[in-house]
Amino acid sequence: MQNLDLKCKILKHPSDLKLKGFGKSKEELFKNLMVGMQIALRPKIKVKKAETKIRIESEDIIFLLFDFLNEVNYLNEVNHEIYQKIYFVKFSDTLIEAELFGKKVSRFGLQIKGVTLHDLDVHQRKDGTWEATVLFDL
Amino acid sequence: MISKKDFNKINDYLWEIPKTYRKDMKVPARIYVSEKMFDQIFKDRSLNQLINTAGIPGIVNFAMAMPDIHEGYGFPIGGVAATKLPEGVISPGGIGYDQNCGVRLLLSTYKEKEIRPYLEKLATEIQSQVPSGLGMGRTEKLSFDQINKILNGGIPYLVEKGYGEIRDIENCEERGRMEQADAFCVSDRAKNRGRDQVGTLGSGNHFLEIQKVEEILDQYTAQAFGLFRDQVVVMIHTGSRGLGHQNCTDYLGTIAKASFSYKIRVPDRELACVPFNSKEGQRFFKALCAACNFAWANRHMITYYTRQAWKLILGQKAELELLYDVAHNIAKIETHSLDGEKLKLLVHRKGATRAFPPGHSEIPKIFENLGQPVLIPGSMGTASYVLVGTEKSKEAWFSTCHGAGRSMSRNEAMRRESGGEVVQKLESKGIVVKCASLNGIAEESPIAYKNVDDVVDVVHNAGLSKKVARLVPLAVIKGE
Repeated sequence: MQNLDLKCKILKHPSDLKLKGFGKSKEELFKNLMVGMQIALRPKIKVKKAETKIRIESEDIIFLLFDFLNEVNYLNEVNHEIYQKIYFVKFSDTLIEAELFGKKVSRFGLQIKGVTLHDLDVHQRKDGTWEATVLFDL
Repeated sequence: MISKKDFNKINDYLWEIPKTYRKDMKVPARIYVSEKMFDQIFKDRSLNQLINTAGIPGIVNFAMAMPDIHEGYGFPIGGVAATKLPEGVISPGGIGYDQNCGVRLLLSTYKEKEIRPYLEKLATEIQSQVPSGLGMGRTEKLSFDQINKILNGGIPYLVEKGYGEIRDIENCEERGRMEQADAFCVSDRAKNRGRDQVGTLGSGNHFLEIQKVEEILDQYTAQAFGLFRDQVVVMIHTGSRGLGHQNCTDYLGTIAKASFSYKIRVPDRELACVPFNSKEGQRFFKALCAACNFAWANRHMITYYTRQAWKLILGQKAELELLYDVAHNIAKIETHSLDGEKLKLLVHRKGATRAFPPGHSEIPKIFENLGQPVLIPGSMGTASYVLVGTEKSKEAWFSTCHGAGRSMSRNEAMRRESGGEVVQKLESKGIVVKCASLNGIAEESPIAYKNVDDVVDVVHNAGLSKKVARLVPLAVIKGE
């Protein structure tokens, strides 16, 4: 099990990428999963900065996470960028408006085909913090 | 936890989990496997996924798995399930993210000893003509209008534009174009991901290999297919690239959300499905067909560039003829007979290959008396196979296996061998290796896969398809 700064872990999986993320809030959980996913892509980072805006509306927190990570994956691939920081302008269980900040990338060491709905789970732990498990198809 | 005692043995290569095993099963689940491979099927959650598949609305006869079964999402990889039309369901998770991932085989007239002196140059030239690797696209991006024409027109459109020849249409599953395709149903985001990817290999287990025919296993059929011992051939294994991945992602979300309104409950969200005749089902099927056309166009253009490289190194008379092109991640409308009744079905094949028998109306005339050529790629650097379809595979909706099947996690494979060690091992066998980076090579090491010989033995002995020739690599070109 690889630890990504204790905010996100790579869990064992036979063929694909499984991440478990943590956060004091849902926003932090989403941010940590996004950053974990960016690290897992093994990007070869360029100096040039990148930034973009996103707006996502979904049915509930599960689909919001699914749609959010898929949006970031889409932007990674088409823009050849990774995003290390996110500023949430709006965040609810069904809406995200945010600004993403990162760097241009010359190549990735891993490709994510898509975020899956398989065992996708977002829940609050007894200590009030948030946790989610996400599987990515490679 | 399921164990061997929960299975009924049908014969030495076919085992059944009865419908009574779990309440939500609508049909029994069947798996093609040998005693030798049996223990491997309990190593991941693929059997549970097969049992889940046996519960989808409208499923007919059995949920089936091929011997290369391994854990996927929704269906297991290696899964086959047919639903009765028009009310049976369609599921993106029954096809997979790489829609129309598939294989084609190009035949040369050369023997290994004639090609060996040019092998390094050939591999280098092909690698430079065919972009491969993560996010590696062609330098020119196609316009949305051009992408739409490819999505609707598939290979025939490209041949009309001067790329390739008529035989490239004839010798391709569906003649390289699914007529139900509608580019309008594919999102702009999916199209955007595909704009620089027509004629690119991608990464992961995708490859282009220069191979030789090591062994002929059915002389009559091999000769009729144009195969001979020591012949040099080219195998291409790739799919619909980012366009297909995005198409699956788009519709997985749409269908998962819509399934509630059809009161469909599934044990895994990734198995989300809707009735085929619903508006969401129809729209997804049209988009899927379009992505399939894109994948065929992709393999066709890789062929075009490979032929250019071939002629550049070996001279203008050097030809590469397409033997056949098959999909192994797809859902298609097919008519099958069951208990004397003709049924119109939607056959989902996720990591499984169509294998039509001799005399079937949907295979090219030249193979009419032989059966459909079936192409099974091995893992990197190991053997691949040419098989032929049989009447016996009627019991599996004329389906067979699709490859070796992963048996070890990527991390575990990387822990055991470095990319450099994997390359060294291949080179020590005389195999030329061209890869953009060593990063992903270790993940695709042969140790991470089942033995393709064992997998093919099962489908051969079960009669799902018959061995024609065994191929081994001379040069491997991979993205990562």
